[in-house]
Amino acid sequence: MSHPRDLKILVVDDFSTMRRIVRGLLKEMGCDNVEEAEDGVHALRTLQSTKFDFVVSDINMPNMNGFDLLKSIKADATLKHLPVLMVTAEARKEDILLAAQSGAAGYIVKPFTKAVLEDKILKILQKMAVAA
Amino acid sequence: MSAVLPARASSDLHSSPASAGLGGAAQHPEVLTQIGLITRQVHDALHQLGVMPKLKEAASGLPDARSRLTYIAEKCGDTANRVLNSVEQAKAEQASMAKAAAALRGAKGSGMAASLDAAGVFALLDEIDAARDRTNAHLTDIMMAQDFHDLTGQVVAKVVSLALIVEDGLVALLRQAAVDEPVRKVDSGILNGPVVNPAGRSDVVANQGEVDDLLASLGF
Repeated sequence: MSHPRDLKILVVDDFSTMRRIVRGLLKEMGCDNVEEAEDGVHALRTLQSTKFDFVVSDINMPNMNGFDLLKSIKADATLKHLPVLMVTAEARKEDILLAAQSGAAGYIVKPFTKAVLEDKILKILQKMAVAA
Repeated sequence: MSAVLPARASSDLHSSPASAGLGGAAQHPEVLTQIGLITRQVHDALHQLGVMPKLKEAASGLPDARSRLTYIAEKCGDTANRVLNSVEQAKAEQASMAKAAAALRGAKGSGMAASLDAAGVFALLDEIDAARDRTNAHLTDIMMAQDFHDLTGQVVAKVVSLALIVEDGLVALLRQAAVDEPVRKVDSGILNGPVVNPAGRSDVVANQGEVDDLLASLGF
């Protein structure tokens, strides 16, 4: 199983503050290889040009929201293997189910703690290791 | 004013490029006159209901509300960045002290403690004191940055009072114009954002535990 420190992670959120917080938490987990995107369009373009191991994405964003980004990733043969962890303030059950059915690897509601983020990432990596 | 409204309406329609599609109305000026009269009646009725002055007051306050909300967004963003900057700098100070302490411990462990000269130890202690003062300054800055809560809270209160004026006016209008139609759910086209009060709602989750339970119950 890989460790977060071995991953190249793309953090997608329209709020630079939240990107900075997630980047800071990932750094505390030992992961320094992090890039940022401010919306789904930017994220998709970045994913298509650079190889990443993991995506942490907000949902409510301009231009392309997190659901559409997730669907685009899962519809792309070269990207569909990427685990996408949704980190969002959207707390409606139908949104959580839609994310799961669309292929999200995990779902975190804001506000969240470092422990929750770490736990979700580790569980996703564990699942991937078992499936491999 | 009754005469003015139809005249304006007629003039606007004729000068508009879209007026070509309204040829029927243009050929029947009485229709435009009738629309003008109805508009005037609605205007007078709103005045009599006392709705218009309130809505005017609220409308005049909307640009102010926009600037207040912009202020809140900017203030929150500035505060977040200020805090994050201080945290990053304080963490760097902590890392630097930890490194110095580890070096000292390493020297002791390797039997080099006797070779450490007093001047070097005191220089290290001075550096630790300075780092502690800088860290303390960052903590004070983080504490002071929390003034955004007080400042934005006051601005929010003003925007809420404006929203109440708009609500009062619209409620009065709805009461007068109420019709027995089923209420249609408005599709705002945007997602919901944070749930301010999840109590008593079964369509939302209140915490991460409920997210996990929901997904687990469905086999995800």
